[in-house]
Amino acid sequence: MKAPVGWLRDYVDLPESSHEIAELLASIGFPVDAIEPRPELSNVVVGRIDTLQKHPNADRLQVAKVDIGLRQPLNIATAATNVAVGQMIAVAMIGAQLPNLKIERRKMRGFESEGMMISADELGLPADWFEDGILQMDAETLLGADVISYFRLRDDVLDVDITTNRPDAMSMTGLARELAAATGKELRLPPELQHAEGRIGARDRDAKKDADGPAVSIRSADCTRFVAQRFSNITVRQSPLWMRVRLALAGQRPINNIVDVSNYVMLEVGQPLHFYDAAHLSGNHLIARDAAPGEKLVTLDDVEHELFQTDLVIADEQAVQGLAGIKGGKNAEVTAGTRKIILEAANFNGARIRRMSAAHGFRTDASTRHEKTLAPILTDLGAARAATLLIAEGAAAHAPHAFGDSLQKQTPVHLPLGEPKRLLGFDLNAKEIRALLSPLGFNSEQDGDQALLIQPPAWRNDVTISADVVEEIARMAGYDRVPMVMPAIATHDIASAAYHLENRIAYSLEALGYYEIVSYSLQGAGVRQRFSNAGLSLRAREVEIRNPLSAEQTFLRSALEPGILDHFARMDQPIKIFELGHVFEQGDRIEEIPMLAMGWAVENAREPNWRDSAFLQFKGDCEELVRRLTGRKPEASRDTYLGMHPGKCATLSLDGVEIMHLGAADPRLLHGYEIRRAVYLAVIPLTHIPEPAIPQYRPGSRFPSTTRDLALVVALEVSAKAIEQTIASTIGDLGKSVRVFDEYRGPQVGENQKSLAARMVLQRDDTTITDEEADEAVARALSALKSELGAEIRS
Amino acid sequence: MSQLAQQLGEIKGRFDAALSRAADDAALEALRVAFFGRIGEITLLRRSIGKLPPAERPTAGKIINDTVASMEEQLSAVQAKLESAQFASELGKDIDVTFPSTEPAMGSIHPIRRLTEIISGYFERHGFAVVLGPEVEPDYYNFDALNIPAGHPAREGFDSFWLTDTLLLRPHTSPMQIRTMQQHQPPIAVIVPGKCYRRDAVDARHSYMFHQVEGLLVAHGIHFGHLKAMLTGMCSELFGPESSIRFRPSYFPFTEPSAEVDARCPLCKGRGGSCRMCGGSGWIELGGSGMVHPNVLREMKYDPEVVSGWAFGFGIERMALRRYDVDDIRRFFENDPAFLRQLR
Repeated sequence: MKAPVGWLRDYVDLPESSHEIAELLASIGFPVDAIEPRPELSNVVVGRIDTLQKHPNADRLQVAKVDIGLRQPLNIATAATNVAVGQMIAVAMIGAQLPNLKIERRKMRGFESEGMMISADELGLPADWFEDGILQMDAETLLGADVISYFRLRDDVLDVDITTNRPDAMSMTGLARELAAATGKELRLPPELQHAEGRIGARDRDAKKDADGPAVSIRSADCTRFVAQRFSNITVRQSPLWMRVRLALAGQRPINNIVDVSNYVMLEVGQPLHFYDAAHLSGNHLIARDAAPGEKLVTLDDVEHELFQTDLVIADEQAVQGLAGIKGGKNAEVTAGTRKIILEAANFNGARIRRMSAAHGFRTDASTRHEKTLAPILTDLGAARAATLLIAEGAAAHAPHAFGDSLQKQTPVHLPLGEPKRLLGFDLNAKEIRALLSPLGFNSEQDGDQALLIQPPAWRNDVTISADVVEEIARMAGYDRVPMVMPAIATHDIASAAYHLENRIAYSLEALGYYEIVSYSLQGAGVRQRFSNAGLSLRAREVEIRNPLSAEQTFLRSALEPGILDHFARMDQPIKIFELGHVFEQGDRIEEIPMLAMGWAVENAREPNWRDSAFLQFKGDCEELVRRLTGRKPEASRDTYLGMHPGKCATLSLDGVEIMHLGAADPRLLHGYEIRRAVYLAVIPLTHIPEPAIPQYRPGSRFPSTTRDLALVVALEVSAKAIEQTIASTIGDLGKSVRVFDEYRGPQVGENQKSLAARMVLQRDDTTITDEEADEAVARALSALKSELGAEIRS
Repeated sequence: MSQLAQQLGEIKGRFDAALSRAADDAALEALRVAFFGRIGEITLLRRSIGKLPPAERPTAGKIINDTVASMEEQLSAVQAKLESAQFASELGKDIDVTFPSTEPAMGSIHPIRRLTEIISGYFERHGFAVVLGPEVEPDYYNFDALNIPAGHPAREGFDSFWLTDTLLLRPHTSPMQIRTMQQHQPPIAVIVPGKCYRRDAVDARHSYMFHQVEGLLVAHGIHFGHLKAMLTGMCSELFGPESSIRFRPSYFPFTEPSAEVDARCPLCKGRGGSCRMCGGSGWIELGGSGMVHPNVLREMKYDPEVVSGWAFGFGIERMALRRYDVDDIRRFFENDPAFLRQLR
């Protein structure tokens, strides 16, 4: 909310510096988002045009004698056309400082002007909100008065952030009350806003009645109170300048003296008002009710709205005249010819107004207040304040009539004296508590020995439990008084396993040379499109976002690999990366799966079709990761996986449980992403990674080992794993390691055959292995390889 | 006897000649084998002692031993000379140690995880568990259970992405407060890091996806002072030992009393002025905090008059921007390797 400091000063004495005021507000829970500085201004006074003549040497200029309350009038030339003898105007004297101008003695076509008549723009006010040309002062303004200080035009405007629980502070007097409480200064309210609590229960005693006043029927529980008041003898014209300046500084465009009163009271008191032109109402009767099917309303801004049955409206006997708490209707708008008006100061259920505002897709200054549920007492205060301002505009006020719930005191809150200490950690006695709360309007009395009964003021409906009172105490006492105490936390059974698993993965992959990336979880239709261009469809249905802000936020990602590929496409450099994140699948319900994806972009190698060294390196990284996570080496087997090359894809498993899928990326997908490097991808759902096994030490043999290499020729489909397994199971304990270390295909072996070289290290734990033993083991292995896999010794 | 002495003399002569030619370890070793090896000349000569009459054997042995001793002395002298020449040559090597290093092929941890881990690690050392939760949550966990019923004005502050009438992407990590309290009894001491989503237009300071770290401590006798001490400690780890924090009153429906938490700016130490890190305020905003609202405790079937607790929720990116002096929040999600390498 925009709060002109000059306006706040009406109600409370404040420090000179806007920054100091901003800090004060922040310290009690109203942070200032911005301080809008006012331009430097000086030496502008009120003057009256006494004579006006044509400039002798220029057709477009006039020369005036302007009385500024001194003995000698000033001679001033002007090009403005809206000037006339007798007008009160603003005069910048020689030496005056204006926003982009310093007034100096100068000649205009041979005439020496002793100052300048100025416009609203030259006082730093929005030009199009005020009259064109010279700014006209009100007739009763004092000649020679300092315009800058009179209108407090040097005081900055604060943009105050008001939390949603404090609609009472969405007003100048509300903020002033908080500032007065924080500084210990007196709060000066207009008389009709004082002693607000005295209005409670006064309704019955109120003898004055307006026999011709409007009737109000409340037909919805969401309208709790409706104060209606009739004003006659209305003359619609421009508001006095002081009010227009205030409204403009607060960001409200001045309209006319009636509409401006409603806006002024809303800003000053916090109660939105509405004025109906009584001549355009059918029957002297207003009804707060639910909208009927098919009803429409043209609002003040000339927009026609189809009304929903969930809308709460204010209607006369014929038609809807306003969307309750949001905006009035065009039909009964106050216009130049308006002579009689009906004031509405109503209280609504905030949740209802909020839903209506959301359904119609617009908010107003009124709805932002009403949707937080205002205190009912504001209706009476707002009406009373409006009456004063309208009377000043010449209106005749009739007695107000209140409908709906009568005003009630807030429910008192029981506050055990130990409660501040229990929640804040520091002690306060009853006297201190009362001293802190009383400037905010809270009354309190002793409630037994150990408690206070706190009576919140009528305008505060946010204080209902003792914790709320403690917050008020904390605001006023300041959190600086909270001591520092380290908590002693007893043991509990809450586990951190999922978090630690993620960290183990991240640190393992960091050590293996992978960069962690974090990419957006929302994506557009482009991912699905890229897969479908590659002849692939995504594994799972993507979850759709109902209210995305952009086309790039339409879906939740169903896999991490597209993000990896996107990174390779954007960054275009060889790199190893990984991402830990959730993926989402739309099934009967939404599945959310924590997932790891790894990717490696590497320069293409020139290798025969049957060899891919980078794949083996990548598989090594994956196996090492599994070993670090589980303490065990996984089994690799051939597999296929969406987005991976069908001939270069493997699954790693432990005890038959699939742990991860890895492979070269599908070349069609790489083409779609315009990636020209070789890419390897791996995915691991984090949901079934086994607990790590504790490694067990086995002492190595003290005796020498012997190494034997076998060059074998096998059919193409015989895998390296099959060779290793056959050798290992045949030679048993003697084999310390068995590893296929080379593959060859080509003219030197037959077609549909390949040559594999295997190395075995043979060793005994109890004695030196003999050549004979080794030879015998090799022979057994060869025989098994031949019979089980059809392997021949390569000649 | 004299024959033996003569033989010994000849052997010695050959030994001296060979030794003077020996230029390296290998030559020395060959020489050792030729004279002292299994069939070395000296070894063979020793064996011939057996053919001498017994009376002459001791003298013969002595002659041989004396000669061998002197030969071995010569040998080790030459060996020592050779070694020192080798050391001199090795020590003569001289490289440019400022030549660029070969970098190890290490990867990097994302700065968001790094920061999350510093914070989580601190709280873990003080007895907190670190729990993770789902990003798709029903409105009950996001709002209702947190004292933000439908129609509550505060829902506005959580402009969320909705998936169904009741499911949304969590706009804060606070749903895990509820999940944790549902599954456990006090004491509850948890830290919840994780992704959150809000419908914010993206610019240098805003991202529709961001990370929060939530803290929740509920037990008997917990008050604001415990929060102040823990958060002051946290800031010491994040920004250095002279850090301090302040609370500013605020409003959150799920805490009462509530406060915003600021840390003293680590760059200007609170002096403000034209500090680019804090924008001149001397403080940097961490996020919201407060004492868990009695309605939230009651919803969990806890008695708010028996247990009390606090919670906080801080934006990780907001802290990371300050800690690493990063100019634009989007860099955290662009993942430029040059950026990641600098912050690893």
